Amino acid sequence: MAQRERDALTGRLTTGHEWDGIKELSTPIPTWWITTFLISIMVALIYLWLMPSFATTKSLEPGLLGWSSSGELREDQAIAAAAQAPWRQRLMAVPLEEVTKDEELRRFVQAGGRALFNENCAPCHGVGGGGQQGQFPALLDDDWLWGGKPADIVQTVRHGIRNEDADSRQSAMPVFGDSLSKEQIGNVADYVLTLADKSKADSRAALPGAALFKDNCAGCHGENGEGGRDFGAPRLNDAIWLYGGSRDAIIHQITSPRMGSMPSFASRLNEESLRMLALYVHGLGGGE
Amino acid sequence: MKGVPATASGRYRRIKTGLASLLLGWFFLVPFLRWDRGPDLPGQAILFDLPGRRLFLFGWEFWPQDLPIAVGLLVGAASLLFYATALAGRVWCGFACPQTVWTDLFFAVDRFCEHRRIPPVLVKITIALLTGFGFACWFTDAPTLAGRLLGGSAAPGSYGAVLIIGGLTWLLGVYAKQRVCLHMCPWPRFQAALLDRDSQVVTYQAWRGESRGRKRIPLREDLGGEPGGTRGDCIDCTRCVAVCPTLIDIRDGLQMGCIGCGLCVDACDTVMEKIGRPKGLIRFDSETNANAKSWTKTLPRPLAAKPMLFLSVALLALGAALFAMLTLSPLRADLDPQRNPLFVRLSDGGIRNDFLLHIQAREPGLSTLRLRLAEGEAGLLRLASSGDHAGSETVEVTLDQRELRERLLITRPAGADAKGRSPLHLLVQDARDGRLLGTVETQFWGPES
Repeated sequence: MAQRERDALTGRLTTGHEWDGIKELSTPIPTWWITTFLISIMVALIYLWLMPSFATTKSLEPGLLGWSSSGELREDQAIAAAAQAPWRQRLMAVPLEEVTKDEELRRFVQAGGRALFNENCAPCHGVGGGGQQGQFPALLDDDWLWGGKPADIVQTVRHGIRNEDADSRQSAMPVFGDSLSKEQIGNVADYVLTLADKSKADSRAALPGAALFKDNCAGCHGENGEGGRDFGAPRLNDAIWLYGGSRDAIIHQITSPRMGSMPSFASRLNEESLRMLALYVHGLGGGE
Repeated sequence: MKGVPATASGRYRRIKTGLASLLLGWFFLVPFLRWDRGPDLPGQAILFDLPGRRLFLFGWEFWPQDLPIAVGLLVGAASLLFYATALAGRVWCGFACPQTVWTDLFFAVDRFCEHRRIPPVLVKITIALLTGFGFACWFTDAPTLAGRLLGGSAAPGSYGAVLIIGGLTWLLGVYAKQRVCLHMCPWPRFQAALLDRDSQVVTYQAWRGESRGRKRIPLREDLGGEPGGTRGDCIDCTRCVAVCPTLIDIRDGLQMGCIGCGLCVDACDTVMEKIGRPKGLIRFDSETNANAKSWTKTLPRPLAAKPMLFLSVALLALGAALFAMLTLSPLRADLDPQRNPLFVRLSDGGIRNDFLLHIQAREPGLSTLRLRLAEGEAGLLRLASSGDHAGSETVEVTLDQRELRERLLITRPAGADAKGRSPLHLLVQDARDGRLLGTVETQFWGPES
């Protein structure tokens, strides 16, 4: 290593190296930069010590401050729950049918119900409650399979339909493809198609399907197809057909019926949430 | 006094003082004008209600969506400014601009305090803070604000506004003064495009003023002096320079620094009177006339083509704005289709569309409204919050705080044509007398087949 020497022109030290007669001035990193760098390292060490930084085999080692993002979320949720608590108490203090008469409470139910609906119901019934033809019934209309009063809706949401919950709404439409001939099923379908038409009220008794309908269908769907809510049997004398209202669709439904099911929400939603949700659905436009 | 122009007295000084008093009075007193709008609305005649996003102007209430009216008023005001400039030069700058009015006021303070043992800085600080207060008054209830500011119970933002506007007043009126006109303001840069040779501007009549000289030098013969006289009417007393608020010498000709305030005209006329020469060596005059070496000044030509162009634009814009103001809708109604789903099929075969109805009332006193569909449009109305499933031809709604937000369900009964898309008109009437307040146009959606 050559000798470090002072450059005559600039008055600064050289690095001491020499390359083919060229010497280089020593230009060390500025002190302020080094200082900042060291301070940054210290800040990082303190941060590692305060915040959760080291993973163990089970979880993160909590830092000295004990902070965690999930803890922060829980705190925020607790604050929100505390703010909602008086409203929830007020909601439970009045009978279900009277809740929406209180304008302030109605707004609370609307806002909370919308959030609950989007989280729990919208995947099947749609964000607007429009349902899905052939799959999930619309909740906006005035046709209800299991009843459209707030209490009915609470019951349906709490226990669901045709699921493993012991209290869920249960029913099953028999498969008539085995017991009736194709011709008979066609006759029943022709008869069902006349049910919504009031002008055919007298003439339809003469149809070949009339007796078959009375024997096989009227027990659940009613003499005039007015439906049976105890069994979730749809009305047949209206314009709403979940599985299609064409002759072919009706024949298909009689031959090998489709029936929807809905999960039980008893374990997911508490009583207040059930109320809010039911009243929100009730207020969509078809509530009874 | 250093930095303070000398006093001029005369016609333009009187106009300036009078106009400044009017404008300052307008600025400080108008927020205190009251206007009774009933119990729920502010009682201030002119109020820019920023939190409420509305502007109260006597009997009018403007909302953000009335912006075209503001555009009309602003275009009209700008065109009027162009008109005035094309006619008479920078009269706005010289007489009406807030920068001129406040700077002039601070100069007056300096002159007033000079021999009275009052520290001018205290008076100026008071004026600046009062200006901040006066400004804030336009945006909130003025008497309340005054009481709260003095009582110490006003919001921190109010003190901040007073301090910021007061500070700006100090910065522009006490510190920057003519620098604003010379270096900051964009208006002098493009006013040259508005002027022509017939515009009235402050003009030094060089033909009779030159050559300058002391009074004892003999006057030129063509001006009525002695044969062999060399001096023009200008005795080089520099009073015109001493009184100039922008510190220019008007005898160098028309220049960007001249704000057209006419104070040099007053100063020169005073001197001309004293030395017994005709007034008007410096005067508001057109360049054409000055070049023609006329002893009489020309008057503005308000009907010349270029000013008329600006005037017609101004009248058009102001007329349109006025028309819009006179035909302002008494309420605003929106009907937003809830498109998820597009339509609902009801069990009787009817087709229902769901809307979000939003009504804001502008006219005071509106409380109960009647909704119905236009003549010939089938459909039954129903508020989603009501339990009446059948719906009815008309629905009455009651506003809460002049506003209503409700889901409105409109049903075309079975048998009515609801195929595809069809126009729908909702009429909003005053329930008291059936007066039509507004019509909302939207679409009704039904099944494609």
